[in-house]
Amino acid sequence: MELLLFNSFNGLIQGVFYALMALGLALILSLNSVINMAHGGFLVIGAYLAYSLSGYLGFWGALVAAPVLTGIIGLFAERALIRPLYKRSDPLYSLLLTFGLALIIEDMTRTIWGAQGLPLEIPDVLNSPVSADYFFITGFRVLIMAITAASAIGLYLALRYTLIGIRIRAGIRDLETVSALGVNIYKLRALNFGFGCIFAGLAGVLAAGVLGLTPPMGNSLIMPSFVAIIVGGVGSLFGALIGGLLIGLAAGITTTYYPAASEAVIYLMMLLVLVIRPRGLFGEEGLFE
Amino acid sequence: MKRKFSRRQVIKTGAILGVSTVFSPPILSFAQGETPIRVGMHDPLTGTYAAEGESEVRGAKMALAEINAKGGLLGRKLDLVIEDDAANAGLAAQKAHKLIEQDKCSLLMGAVSSATALSVNQVAHDQKTLYMVTGGHTDPVTGSQCHWTTFRICTTTYMLAAGLASTLYKKFGGKWYFITPDYAYGHTLQAAYSKLLKDMGGTELGNSLAPLGSTDYSSYLIKAQQAKPDVLILLVDGQDLVNCMKQAAQFGLTKKFAIGGGLTELEVLKALPKEAKLGWWTVEWWWDQPNTPHVKEWVASYQKAYTDGSYPSARTWFGYAGLHSLGLGVTKAKSIESAKVAKALEGLVLPPEIALQPNKVYFRAKDHQLMSSEFPGEILSDGVYPNLFKVSEIVPGDKIALTEEQAGCKLDYAT
Repeated sequence: MELLLFNSFNGLIQGVFYALMALGLALILSLNSVINMAHGGFLVIGAYLAYSLSGYLGFWGALVAAPVLTGIIGLFAERALIRPLYKRSDPLYSLLLTFGLALIIEDMTRTIWGAQGLPLEIPDVLNSPVSADYFFITGFRVLIMAITAASAIGLYLALRYTLIGIRIRAGIRDLETVSALGVNIYKLRALNFGFGCIFAGLAGVLAAGVLGLTPPMGNSLIMPSFVAIIVGGVGSLFGALIGGLLIGLAAGITTTYYPAASEAVIYLMMLLVLVIRPRGLFGEEGLFE
Repeated sequence: MKRKFSRRQVIKTGAILGVSTVFSPPILSFAQGETPIRVGMHDPLTGTYAAEGESEVRGAKMALAEINAKGGLLGRKLDLVIEDDAANAGLAAQKAHKLIEQDKCSLLMGAVSSATALSVNQVAHDQKTLYMVTGGHTDPVTGSQCHWTTFRICTTTYMLAAGLASTLYKKFGGKWYFITPDYAYGHTLQAAYSKLLKDMGGTELGNSLAPLGSTDYSSYLIKAQQAKPDVLILLVDGQDLVNCMKQAAQFGLTKKFAIGGGLTELEVLKALPKEAKLGWWTVEWWWDQPNTPHVKEWVASYQKAYTDGSYPSARTWFGYAGLHSLGLGVTKAKSIESAKVAKALEGLVLPPEIALQPNKVYFRAKDHQLMSSEFPGEILSDGVYPNLFKVSEIVPGDKIALTEEQAGCKLDYAT
């Protein structure tokens, strides 16, 4: 029983991380209509930037600077690569493009930082369990939860109360009308892509605290976030959040009884959701509804 | 409202992710001779074992340069064709076919993952092509699934366990919990430890199987904590070991139990953050052997060839010894025919400048397993690259290996 409690809790914490990844992915998916296969790549960029910057800025400085820089790189990528594809309505083009971009980022990381794994040192405060009984709640995991909660709430407030946020929400509903009303939708989409990449960069720094840095580290992390989006519902940011938590919890519970299935269970959940409620739990109606 | 994308397309991306690891261009090194002898090498250049794969390739390239500088083999240049197998068994088999059929390689070598070693072992046998396994440790390669075509440089999983098990038992006690990678290498290594532990009178408290390439080890670590073992044995390797150690350290488990494992490597040690630098492990070769001739010179020659400040690892030595062994076999057989080279390699003793370790290193005739040493020891918690590991002894391979009979190999020459 204790094991079930531990594993469920542990799964939820893991789910928080999936949710953070899924949030950025969902943001880009809704306004830019891009299934961003390079999201894992931007995560890796964020992680490696944090590694390089932490020598100068310390961990906390890198935690802020690396995601912002990732966002700026995202802006350039959007301007140079994604924007020319908006005209083509088939999202397959941008899918293939970002897939290629993911491979390029992985190889560039390997060229710049090498194929050998690198460690990101995190402060000692974060590096130990918060309580002796619940030893799996480490300082770093508390940080992950806090940052994800802050990001989700911040994103919610920004989308609700800032001008850009309101325009993004309107753009998700009907981009043509927003454009006709005089909003520069190119700028809007670029900004939105940049925001999405900031989330990826943030997830990267946080992942680097728990995992060693390797060029392909994004690949294994991105799949669960795609699943989170599909379970939560394509088009809904709230859904992405809940989707992430749900699959984490499901994996945690499964681990208690049948560990071998803990990886498969999230795909099983995806299958169930697709059969019973194809638009996902909170699918396609809009933001935070 | 314009419909911009469909759920179906989101799902399709999943399928594309699945096949994404399949494509990567081969790296060719061209020889100048008219009809070079070609050796095909498969190793993971991407994925969880990429760093290990690169080290093996570096070692093989050193041997290649040395052999060609001395005029090649049988008066012909030697050429190395390298393919990325991404540590994927199916892909490795496919690349092995390509190396033999398309690139016309006479001999094969390579492998970091045991799964790829087993699959190429089969292809090489079907194609009657000699295959030098550099770094896939699982027992069956030179045991129950051995073939006349296959030789192996790295030690067996049984030897890895046997080199360290008694030290762990005597130092820390007999209640062990395992975290094991869920594929051939892990299964055989765990089975070996399990048997050795039982023979010594200890108890196995549990064994968690973790898929290769796992990123989250928390659920396995929770189970391990509940079992309260004397020793937590981490059999995962490569980047997986880095991730597992890092998380175990953050959970505070490294302070509660002794940590031991199977294999560790310079590549892994380098990637460990300071809090995860601890425990008892085995390496299969170490760059710092002050009393062994030729080692210092070899390290220097490595650093002349690769100026990135790195040191050669066991993997580098696998690649180096692997290609040199093939060269020695070809020279002795005066032929590149696999059957003749295989006969020449049986019982062959590696000369000290290639063996680079104090004990006698030779290919056993009956199962084609190289009898090289184990270097058990402790990770230095305050170590700085490359001084990250303290070798406690160098155990001769033939002292700890299963006998040829126990290994269960029956070579199948009838062709």
